[in-house]
Amino acid sequence: MSLAVETFDIRKTFGELTAVKDISIQINEGEFFGFLGPNGAGKSTLIRMLTTVLRPASGTASVGGFDITKEPDEVRRSIGVVTQNMASDLDLTARENMDIFGKFYEVPKKARQERVAELLERVGLSKKADELAATFSGGMRRRLDIARVLVHKPEILFLDEPTSGLDPQSRRVVWEMLQNFMKDYNMTIFLTTHYMEEAEALCTRVAIIDRGSVIAMGTPDELKSGIPGNDIVILTLSREQENVRNLAAAEGYVHKAQLENGDLRCYVDSGSEDAPRLMKLATDAGAEVRAVSIQKLSLEDVFIHYTGRSIREEESKKVSLFLGAGVPSKLGRN
Amino acid sequence: MRRVFAVIERDMRKFSRNPVIMVMAVVMPIAYLIILGNSFQGKLKGLPVAVVNQDDGYWGRRLDERLKAVAIGPKTVTLTYMSDQGKAVEDVRNGKFKGAVIVPPDFSRRMALGINPEVGIFVDNTDQISEGALTGALTDAVNSLREVFVSVRPDRTVVQARRVELYRMVDYDQALVPGVVVMAIFMGTMITGVFNLVMDRFLGVDEAILMTPVTKTDIVGGLVVSGFIITMFMATIVYIVSALITGITVFGSVSRFLGILVVLALATMGLLSMMFLMLGRANHPRIVGVFSGFMNVIFFFPSGAVYPVEGFPKWLRAFSKVNPEYYAVHALKSIIFKGNPLWAIYGDIVFLLCFLTVMMTLAVVTFKRTL
Ligand SMILES: Nc1ncnc2c1ncn2[C@@H]1O[C@H](COP(=O)(O)OP(=O)(O)OP(=O)(O)O)[C@@H](O)[C@H]1O
Ligand SMILES: [Mg+2]
Repeated sequence: MSLAVETFDIRKTFGELTAVKDISIQINEGEFFGFLGPNGAGKSTLIRMLTTVLRPASGTASVGGFDITKEPDEVRRSIGVVTQNMASDLDLTARENMDIFGKFYEVPKKARQERVAELLERVGLSKKADELAATFSGGMRRRLDIARVLVHKPEILFLDEPTSGLDPQSRRVVWEMLQNFMKDYNMTIFLTTHYMEEAEALCTRVAIIDRGSVIAMGTPDELKSGIPGNDIVILTLSREQENVRNLAAAEGYVHKAQLENGDLRCYVDSGSEDAPRLMKLATDAGAEVRAVSIQKLSLEDVFIHYTGRSIREEESKKVSLFLGAGVPSKLGRN
Repeated sequence: MRRVFAVIERDMRKFSRNPVIMVMAVVMPIAYLIILGNSFQGKLKGLPVAVVNQDDGYWGRRLDERLKAVAIGPKTVTLTYMSDQGKAVEDVRNGKFKGAVIVPPDFSRRMALGINPEVGIFVDNTDQISEGALTGALTDAVNSLREVFVSVRPDRTVVQARRVELYRMVDYDQALVPGVVVMAIFMGTMITGVFNLVMDRFLGVDEAILMTPVTKTDIVGGLVVSGFIITMFMATIVYIVSALITGITVFGSVSRFLGILVVLALATMGLLSMMFLMLGRANHPRIVGVFSGFMNVIFFFPSGAVYPVEGFPKWLRAFSKVNPEYYAVHALKSIIFKGNPLWAIYGDIVFLLCFLTVMMTLAVVTFKRTL
C-alpha cells in the first residue's frame, strides 16, 4: 500500500515559538486519519505546511507522492482543503462558489456541472443552490466548504476542524457526510479536531498532538489499550487530595492515580468492583468524597494520560463563523 | 489559462453584488468636477473694491469710467465709492474689501502736465490668488488711460505683442475634465484589484485559494483584469457625463474616442499594477484606505489636472516626470482639446506603457504565494 502523506521531521517556528516540532508521520492511502490536539497544538500549522501555503523551517513532507517544497503545484492539484476558517464567498451563491472552485482546478465544463449538481445534492444544498452563501447557517456553510473542494475529485482531503463551532446535530450531519464521501470517492482524509468523540467516531487512526509534538499514535482502540486498565474511577474530594492520591497509587489494583482539576482519577480494571474500595480508602484517610463516577476509557483519557491535562480545559476558544476575522496573518490565525 | 478567468469571474461576480460602490465611485468624481469647477474659477469675479476719487477733473472721470468698465465687463470687481481714504485703506486691512483705488485731487493736473501722475492701489496681499487678479485688473484700467496716445501714433520700433489663440479657448470647468476622469480611474483602482486581495486576506479566505493550483500570475493578473474592466467602465461613464456637463464634444471622430479609451486603459492598468505592487502584502483593508487616500493627493495635484505643471518648483516638476497621472492628464488634454491623434502624444503613451510593464512585472514577482 502506498503512502498518501508522509512527513519527515517537519518543523515550523514562529520567532521563539516552535509550533510544529519535527513531526514524522505516515498516512496510508484510504485512511481516515485524525489529528487530535488542543488549541495551539500546531494542527493548523501542520496542515498549512502540507498544503503548501507555509514553508517548513526544516524537514519536509510528501503529499500524494509529491514533495511539498519542490513540487507544490502537483501537491495542490491532488488535494482538497477545508480550512479552519469558513472560506466560501458569502457574496456568491452555493453553485457559484463550487463552480469557480472547479475552474480553479480546470475541471471541464460538463464534468463540472454534473459534479456540482451531484455534490449539492449530497450535502443537502440542492434547494439552496442559487442563494447567496451569506444567507446560510453555519452548518450549511460548512457543508458548502466541503462540497466546494470535492468538485475536482481530490485524492486527499484535508479538513481543519471541520465541525468546530457547529451544534451537535450539524456535527453529526457532517460526520455522516464525510463517512459517505470517504466510502464513495475513494479518498484519503486527513482531519484535525479537538473533539474526542469526533476522532473516535470517524478516524481509522489517530495521532495525538500537543505543543507541536505527536505524543501518541494508533487506532482509537490501540491508543486506549496503551493506557492501563479499562475503567476510570473519578473521585471528587474536598480535601486531602494529594494524600489520597498517594495512598491509592500504592494499591495493587490501581494502575495509575492522577489528580486532574481537583478530581482524583484512578485507572482500574473494573470500575464497579474497585469504586467502593477507593471510596473507603478515601474516607479512612479523612477525605470527604463529594461524588464518584465510573467512566469507560476514551481518547480523552489517553490525552490526559499523556499530558496530565484535559483537552477541554483549553477549549475555551471562541469560534466565530467568519473567522480569521481580522487577525493579520503575522499575528497568527486560528 | 482557464484559472485566470475563474479569478476574474469570482471578482466580478462579487463586485456586482455590491452595486452601491460602483454608483459612488462614478458619482464622486463628478461631484469633484462640480465642486472644483466652482471653487477654483479660472477668472475671479466680483472682488469688492473701494474707490476714493478726489479728482473731479477730466482724467479722474476717465479713470472712473475704466474701472466701471471692468466692473461691468469681465466683472472682476464690484465697486464701492467712498470719500474717506483712511477708512478705505482700513477696510482693506480688516477684510471688507480686497482692494482700494485712491485717486488724488491733483491727478488730472499732473496728467495734463505730464508730471508723475499717481494713483494709489491698495491690495490685500494675504490672499494671493485674488491679489494677482485684482492687481492685474486695476493696473490694466489705469494703464489703459495712456493708450489714448499710443493708439494715435503707434511706435513702430517697439514690438507689439498680440495674443494669438492657437486652440479654442478652454473654460476652466472643461479643463478639469481630464483630471476628473483620471481621478475616477484612481478611485476605481482603490476599490478593485489589490483591495479585494487584501479583503480576502483580512477575512482569512485567501488561504483556501492559495491551496488550489491557482498561480501567482493568475491571482495578480486576474485581479488586475477584473479591476480593469470595472474601472474602465466607471471612467468611461465619468468621462461621458462630465463632457456632457461641461459641453465638451463626447465622441467626435472614431479615432478621437478610441484615443481617449487607449489613454484611459493604459492609465488604469498602470495604476492597478502599481497599487498591487505597493499593497500586495497589506493585511488590513484600512491600510489600503489610508495609503490610497494619500496617494490620490500625491498623484492628483502634481498631475497638472488643476494647476499647470510649469508653475511648480523644480523638485515637484521632477516628480511629475514619473507621475503616471501627469502623462494621462497631458495625453487626454491633447486629444480632447487639441484634437491630436495618438501618434502626436507618443511620448505619453510610451511612458504609460513602460510604467505599466514595470509595475505589473514587479507586482507579480514580489507577490508572495504563501501566508
Ligand atoms: N502566523 C503565526 N505567527 C505567529 N505564531 C503563530 C502563527 N500561526 C500560528 N502560530 C502559533 O503557533 C501555535 C500553533 O498554532 P496552530 O494554529 O497550528 O494551532 P491549532 O492546533 O490549529 O490550534 P486551534 O485548535 O486553536 O486551531 C500557536 O501557539 C499559535 O499561536
Ligand atoms: Mg487550528
